Amino acid sequence: MNFTVTSEINNKVATLTLVGSLDSSSAFVFQEEIQKVAVQSPVEMVLRVSELSFMASAGLRMIVFAKQKLGSQVQIYMVSPQDQIIDTLQMTGFIHSVHIVDKYPE
Amino acid sequence: MEAKKITYSYVASLDVLESIREMLTQAGNDIGLSKRKTYQLTLAIDEIATNVIKYGYQEAGISDGFFDLIIEFKEGELIVSLEDTATPFNPIEHSLPTEEDLNIPLEERPIGGLGVMIARQSVDEFKYEFVNNKNRNIFIVKTN
Repeated sequence: MNFTVTSEINNKVATLTLVGSLDSSSAFVFQEEIQKVAVQSPVEMVLRVSELSFMASAGLRMIVFAKQKLGSQVQIYMVSPQDQIIDTLQMTGFIHSVHIVDKYPE
Repeated sequence: MEAKKITYSYVASLDVLESIREMLTQAGNDIGLSKRKTYQLTLAIDEIATNVIKYGYQEAGISDGFFDLIIEFKEGELIVSLEDTATPFNPIEHSLPTEEDLNIPLEERPIGGLGVMIARQSVDEFKYEFVNNKNRNIFIVKTN
């Protein structure tokens, strides 16, 4: 399934909606969107991922990139990730650095 | 189940990853493997295939590389072997991040090693061989 990402910024909260498969061939699309929202210095980043069906380590590296680009104080929320993606976040320890929520705002 | 072996060949391009995932998902469904195990096998192979394509071939300046995926259905096991002729690389010699590494804040983390770690930990057994000038990464999933 192709990967798409769309973004919007409201009240300094960047919301990105990720759909499809995020792998090493599509990660650059996500990276470009992070760079685009970073210009507006958001204070929080919300990733809507309920329709993200696959995420490889290339996607995790983009989350690291977002933290580096936006600053460590910027909190990252992942809204409704699928179980298999939660497994990957758990295995790699990323679960400690992002907030997994059912909805945002909580 | 009678042992069955199927070989698929791919050009070394990241564009093939999606069709590999589709093929493996179908294979998992065909033998009644759980959704979670099928996903993890697919993820493991995606990670190693990415490394073979990017580092084994593209960064080594080899533009016409290819690799095979050999799928074997055996009693109680699904075995997938990824064979390539790129530079020898043994993921098992690659040190895995420690528990301590995994607790480092994201922004301070080194960027490498995650893919190999995911690949090795996502299947029941992971093996590597270098035979006949080929890398062979073997992924084994218990099916019952």
